[in-house]
Amino acid sequence: MFPIYKKELQSFFYTPFAYAISALFMLLFSLSFSTGIAQIEETNKWAFSFTEMFYSVILYFIFLLPILTMRTFADERKNGTEVLLMTSPVSVAKIVIAKFLANITVYLFMLVGTSFFPIITAMKGEVVVSQLICAYIGIFCWGTMYIAIGMFISALTESAILAAIIGEVVMFALLFIDDFSNTPFISQYPKLQSVIYSFAAQPRFAYFSEGFIRLSDLVFFASAIIVFLAWTYIAIEKRRWNRG
Amino acid sequence: MITIDNLTKYYGNNRAVNHISFTINDNEILGFLGPNGAGKSTTMNMIAGYLPMSDGKVTIYGSDITKEPVKAKKNIGYLPEIPPVYPDMKVKEYLSFCAGLKQVPMGKRKSEIERVMGLLKIKDMEGRLIRNLSKGYKQRVGFAQALLGNPKFLILDEPTVGLDPNQVAEVRAIIKDLKKEHSVIFSSHILSEVSAVCDRVIIINKGEIRAIDTIENLEKSFTASRVLHIKVKGEQDKAASIIGMTDGVTNINSVDSDGDGVYSFTVTLEGDSDKIRDNIMSECISHGLSILEIYTDKPNLESVFIELINRPVKKSGLQELLDETPDESQKTTAEKEEK
Repeated sequence: MFPIYKKELQSFFYTPFAYAISALFMLLFSLSFSTGIAQIEETNKWAFSFTEMFYSVILYFIFLLPILTMRTFADERKNGTEVLLMTSPVSVAKIVIAKFLANITVYLFMLVGTSFFPIITAMKGEVVVSQLICAYIGIFCWGTMYIAIGMFISALTESAILAAIIGEVVMFALLFIDDFSNTPFISQYPKLQSVIYSFAAQPRFAYFSEGFIRLSDLVFFASAIIVFLAWTYIAIEKRRWNRG
Repeated sequence: MITIDNLTKYYGNNRAVNHISFTINDNEILGFLGPNGAGKSTTMNMIAGYLPMSDGKVTIYGSDITKEPVKAKKNIGYLPEIPPVYPDMKVKEYLSFCAGLKQVPMGKRKSEIERVMGLLKIKDMEGRLIRNLSKGYKQRVGFAQALLGNPKFLILDEPTVGLDPNQVAEVRAIIKDLKKEHSVIFSSHILSEVSAVCDRVIIINKGEIRAIDTIENLEKSFTASRVLHIKVKGEQDKAASIIGMTDGVTNINSVDSDGDGVYSFTVTLEGDSDKIRDNIMSECISHGLSILEIYTDKPNLESVFIELINRPVKKSGLQELLDETPDESQKTTAEKEEK
């Protein structure tokens, strides 16, 4: 398991990939940071908060995380190296977990880059650290869930580009679940509305950014991650059985 | 010992491998011979545990590949048809990743990598990106990967494809050398290669085994009927009767006139062909016919191969009939649905 994890990390960090994606993420982050600062008015100094910024940053994830996960399994299949992994004495579940951990590591690397902004702010002003930590936990959970989804999509196709595009579409759709559940049409059926609403990740993140760590939200993210990783495992196994 | 029992693979309704059973003994090189699309790679993928089988069992040194995959796979080194290399990795980096994957103990990894690189003569390439290597070198890197950790059982799927003649000879020598410590199954559609390297040969076509034997036995079993070509000068009828009357001649296949009273006979023999040939010669000479040319066709692996591949398969066993039925029923239901 560890060799696969290490190999994945090498493929991210020995190439410009991890640095490019982190740089892009920081660029997008700094854009919302600077617009946030620009909007501060003399009369309302508290209008700017990092947690609100995180909230807008999540939109960028939809474009960045599928790029991170697109190669996970699609490239193995394209290079013919899937055979190597499958015929080595490592179980498929371990392969999935190793690749998942590697993706998370790159994701953490991206997040660590963003801590640059609160640090600078703390030097000149004041940062509510506890709330910031909560927001980081929330954004980490959310991103990890998206990574699991992206890996699942990557396991379904042979083309990395296709995996990225499908991933973006799916994640975009997921982002609008709560808006969708609040449409007048769905509101007519309150039970249906509550079912759909419970799948939305955005309101759960809102609790984190407000400084609440709720067990139900943690369970939501953890179960979503487990479900998508299990589906990834099943997709790979199914592919082997159907091959031909 | 590796046992393959009743191995079957369906791709949808299409049967790629049909109830194949054989064993690979310790320290043996088994050649796996067949035309393109015969099911060689499918069989090898199943033995290596990459493809699940539709039916049957593969046991590698006592562990079933489907029930104890991790234990069974520890004994396997597999070189698939396309070498499974990462284009973005350097040769040494790739091999050290593979060594980790194959759970070679930490302390031994370095020496193992050096050993396989030396064996396949890729030491000069250790710092190069695999993407930039030629096909022959990629193939060798893939081969080196299969040898890492010294697994007892090696599966090599067309290991010499894409190599130049010099490299082919080297790789063959390596495979021959592997026999000392390993069991090898090795597929190819190049006959000379198989006869140069293997102890035993399996010939398959359309997913069915046509023959399993040593090369000598295969050649011998087809020497029962040999063809003799003889060119004589003299009267045609006289020559024909003398040749036809000789013991062991079963049939005169053709007579061609080459002009000037010279006739070429093609004759099928049965029994000791040397003796029959001598008899024909002495008879001809004693009857005043002069022999201009005489030779027998020596069957080699190639003709055995062609004959075995083209020989129609009899469907006699009940099992085969039973196997046919699901196909038929599936087809008919599919047809019905279409209607």
